[in-house]
Amino acid sequence: MQLNTCTVASRDTNTLRKRLMLAGCALLGATSAVHAEDTKDWQVDSAVLYYKESGGRVQAIEPVINVKHDFGDEHVLGLKFTYDSLTGGSPTGGVVATSPQTTVSPSGHSRTTIAAGDLPLDSNFKDQRFALDGNWSQPIGNDFKVALGAGFSHERDWTAATANAGVSRDFLQHNLTVNLGVSGEYDRINPVGGVPQALSNASLGLKSGNESRNGVGGQLGFTVVMSRNWLVRANFNYDRSSGYQTDPYKILSVVNADGTVANSLYESRPDKRARKSVYLESRVGLRNDDALSVSYRRMQDDWGIHSDTAEVKYHYAIDDRTYVEPHVRWYQQTAADFYQVMLHSGAAVPTFASADSRLGAFSAPTVGIKVGRTDEDGNELSVRLDYYQQTGKNVAKGPGILAPYNLYPGMKAVMLQVGWRFGL
Amino acid sequence: MKSLVRTIACLAGSIALLGLSGCASLGAKPWDRGILARNTMQLDRNGVENALDDHIYFSKEASTGGRGIGGGGCGCN
Repeated sequence: MQLNTCTVASRDTNTLRKRLMLAGCALLGATSAVHAEDTKDWQVDSAVLYYKESGGRVQAIEPVINVKHDFGDEHVLGLKFTYDSLTGGSPTGGVVATSPQTTVSPSGHSRTTIAAGDLPLDSNFKDQRFALDGNWSQPIGNDFKVALGAGFSHERDWTAATANAGVSRDFLQHNLTVNLGVSGEYDRINPVGGVPQALSNASLGLKSGNESRNGVGGQLGFTVVMSRNWLVRANFNYDRSSGYQTDPYKILSVVNADGTVANSLYESRPDKRARKSVYLESRVGLRNDDALSVSYRRMQDDWGIHSDTAEVKYHYAIDDRTYVEPHVRWYQQTAADFYQVMLHSGAAVPTFASADSRLGAFSAPTVGIKVGRTDEDGNELSVRLDYYQQTGKNVAKGPGILAPYNLYPGMKAVMLQVGWRFGL
Repeated sequence: MKSLVRTIACLAGSIALLGLSGCASLGAKPWDRGILARNTMQLDRNGVENALDDHIYFSKEASTGGRGIGGGGCGCN
């Protein structure tokens, strides 16, 4: 639903359309709604994200640039380029070391000693990712709009190709938009050192070859204009993936009755996963240029994970050009059926088991603030700072000498984003 | 899956009923969309910011998506 065009459904030239749009909005007293950047041929939305976890864990720098060009009559091309640089230590899944431990890197070429009381990390974690996404959208006839997209992403041990298509239609004098979309993805996984044999002893290094997986998804969405200042969106999503779902770098500790670690096994996950989710969003326009956005997502999958995500943002316009936007996000999830902090020595080894904390039960609040300013040409500079924290729930206690330790690693992170949006 | 289908059917039915009943208070007339036309009211206005959020949270949590469909794959989870 392209509301920023004041719903002027013209088929004129691009320039004329923009002039009409500006004139129409001015007549409607909505001059502040159309920034100068919207009248430029090319719109560029760029940002750099700096992400850092506490305790010497992962840090990332991720610049993104998204370019959009309207060829006229709402024939729009979008191109997005993303680069990731990741370094730092990633938890291996092993329990806290109660005495100094030596871990071997995935390649088998380097060893790291973990001090007593520390969380085992793969300190050799280092990667770069390049991703390119493109999309095209245009009207079909007077009532429909179609969108096509494709993406390619490559990193040292992972290559992904994606495609998506969608169609939308407006009803009830543009007060209701219904959209239907489908997507597909193919991933090629080439772990450093090879694919480990599931649940084999990690010290043996039984690895070989590579793996793949593919997935399909669908979305049915509704956007409803509730009133002159209130929008509601509801999306229903379903996706399923088959193939290699295991994290080739994660292990589980096999723990003796006294809490000492007998050995470590590579994890094992089912080769299929289906997810469904409902996403609801409400946005209300208030005084001046203020806006309140509230969203909620409920997701569940057939691995036994249920999650709830709620987010509130308030866009407060300090003046015509400056705004501040505080936001709060709350996330919680239950654990996967096969999630276990550790395995017990002498007990039967299950078919599937993972100690990856991302599959455990936890809650995670995010609090943040964004500040932005628009110059006289409509270009916008923004800075956003977020704080994120994960805390485990219902974490099993370890036996013997592990008893005093919290076996869920938890995590604290800060995110700093600088954005620059401009027209050419 | 059945509950999801039921929810979709209920919502679609409710919207259809509202449309058929010509609910006068729902929606906005074409000449009364000044607030809806603001940049701050565009649901997908912050595409880059949303993509960065989706990527970070996807790499740290078991859930993903909701707002849109598609996007580049990633080996981060």
